Amino acid sequence: MERRRWGGDAAWFPVCLALVGALVLSLLLAVSFGTVSIPLGQVYEVILEELRALLPGGTAPTGGSVRDVVWLIRLPRLILAVGVGMGLSVCGAVMQAIVKNPLADPYVLGVSSGAYLGASLAMLLGLGGFLGGSAMGVLGCAGALLVSLGVMALANLGGRSNAVKLLLAGTALSAVCAGFSNFFIFLLNDDHAATAVVQWSMGSLAAADWGSNAVIVAVAVLGSLFFWSQYRNLNLMLLGDDCAVTLGADLHRWRLIYLTAAALMVGFAVYKAGLIGFVGLLIPHVVRMLFGTDHKKLIPISALLGAIFLVWADVLCRVILPGNELPIGVLTALVGAPVFVYLMARKKYGFGGGD
Amino acid sequence: MEIRASDVRAVLGGSQILRGVDLRAERGELVGVIGPNGSGKSTLLKCIYRVLKPTGGAVWLDGRALSEYSYKASARRVAVVAQHNYYNFDFSVQDVVMMGRAPHKRTLDRDNAQDRQMAARALETVGMADFARRSFATLSGGEQQRVILARALAQDTPCLILDEPTNHLDIKFQLQLMDIVKGLDRTVIAAIHDLNIAAMYCDRLYAVREGRVVASGRPEEVLTPELIRTVYEVEAQVLRDERGGLRIFYHPGSHGS
Repeated sequence: MERRRWGGDAAWFPVCLALVGALVLSLLLAVSFGTVSIPLGQVYEVILEELRALLPGGTAPTGGSVRDVVWLIRLPRLILAVGVGMGLSVCGAVMQAIVKNPLADPYVLGVSSGAYLGASLAMLLGLGGFLGGSAMGVLGCAGALLVSLGVMALANLGGRSNAVKLLLAGTALSAVCAGFSNFFIFLLNDDHAATAVVQWSMGSLAAADWGSNAVIVAVAVLGSLFFWSQYRNLNLMLLGDDCAVTLGADLHRWRLIYLTAAALMVGFAVYKAGLIGFVGLLIPHVVRMLFGTDHKKLIPISALLGAIFLVWADVLCRVILPGNELPIGVLTALVGAPVFVYLMARKKYGFGGGD
Repeated sequence: MEIRASDVRAVLGGSQILRGVDLRAERGELVGVIGPNGSGKSTLLKCIYRVLKPTGGAVWLDGRALSEYSYKASARRVAVVAQHNYYNFDFSVQDVVMMGRAPHKRTLDRDNAQDRQMAARALETVGMADFARRSFATLSGGEQQRVILARALAQDTPCLILDEPTNHLDIKFQLQLMDIVKGLDRTVIAAIHDLNIAAMYCDRLYAVREGRVVASGRPEEVLTPELIRTVYEVEAQVLRDERGGLRIFYHPGSHGS
């Protein structure tokens, strides 16, 4: 069967350019959605004014409620959506390569339960009291990183790590972290705190601000560029370590480097946005289906598509329930799961199995 | 390029698989390694293509120890077609063959016209040029194995190692693959199950049993009824066909029990 794909070797670059354009356009459109209706002209006026103010010699922008809504609430969220969507999608593709398993997502190696444990500790034990309002984010991020490092250490016990050992270590540590989180929640019996943790774990972009956005977007973009530059090794990873050696790459060391970089990217996303499921699983598979498995195309296209996806997911979250905001993790699961099932049912895409 | 293994020993899972093996393949030679399942022939080849580290002895490429080469450098000299090639992800045939160019690339190098040309030529050599855009996973076993051979050819190495490449392939593909390999001007070491194929194609043979080389030489020197009895524990008759080629016939019911 001839596999029809959008573009062979030549078409992926124009596709990337088109997606960059689509991302900018999405941002411009998405910023006009919200609970308060503001005329489109006014929205762009505020943005232009702020951008002019960033230029050297620019005048300070005038304040006002419209400016606050657009510049301090809507746009930061959307920019955060770009960073988080990009980071999660790229890490999803990378994790799938690292563990050679199409079911992997950015959270697969214990990252989500580590983050959950960190957030629970922050909330329930007041461990993060001195960190102020972002305590759950900080400890969640720390938990994600620590568990990732723990999984790597565990998988390297008694010989070199491999995909299966990583998955097993990830599953084991996940269970331990989930057990501890539940234990604390049960022990303290604090309904308010438990609710807060659950809500945090459903993900939200509401906490966005320009200061942390700069860091998160920078980490996501630099991480994506790094993984893009590693596309040959990522391709070889899917063939297995033995085969990779015969093609000149000793992947053991690289796997640890990639895991660390991915954990960092996911950790930063967790810090501001909590846990947002399905993006990192869905986007790489959609891109593979359309463009093939070659990471030279998979990484950049996933990064851009993931960013666009999360921008629109956030818009939907804000408008779908009048007067209320749906947690974005709930929405990505509700939208993502049916799409995923549809992909499975189409049969043309074998998720790698091919048959 | 010349490959030499001297006194190679290997321990796998606590048992001694190779007990000191010497092997030599001269430039342009097609050397076959034969022996029953578990004799260590695959382990020996794995030591030569660096997937296993010998616990004793060493492998030499052109007089330099293999361990002194970087993985990239050795992959520019030795390419491998192994028996197991199942991928959990869906690459196109073109993607798979282009991976053969990886050892020639630094991190930020892009694939250039020459790489694509070599991949195209390799696919042509194995008769798979029309399949470049197909998904690797949808090919038959024989076609997949030819694509892997094309990848090894695109690797552009002076040496080629075939680790039982024709297992599970029907006879046409076995002959096809060996014909292609025989037509290459490369040093080839191949582990081969089928003694008739070994006799037809190889310049020299090494017979391995219980981790030791028990015979080596030209096929007609190695493939004798006595040796086949010692190594495989079956009775066989070795005849010449009308063109002087060796033909091995096995006697049913003669396996030592």
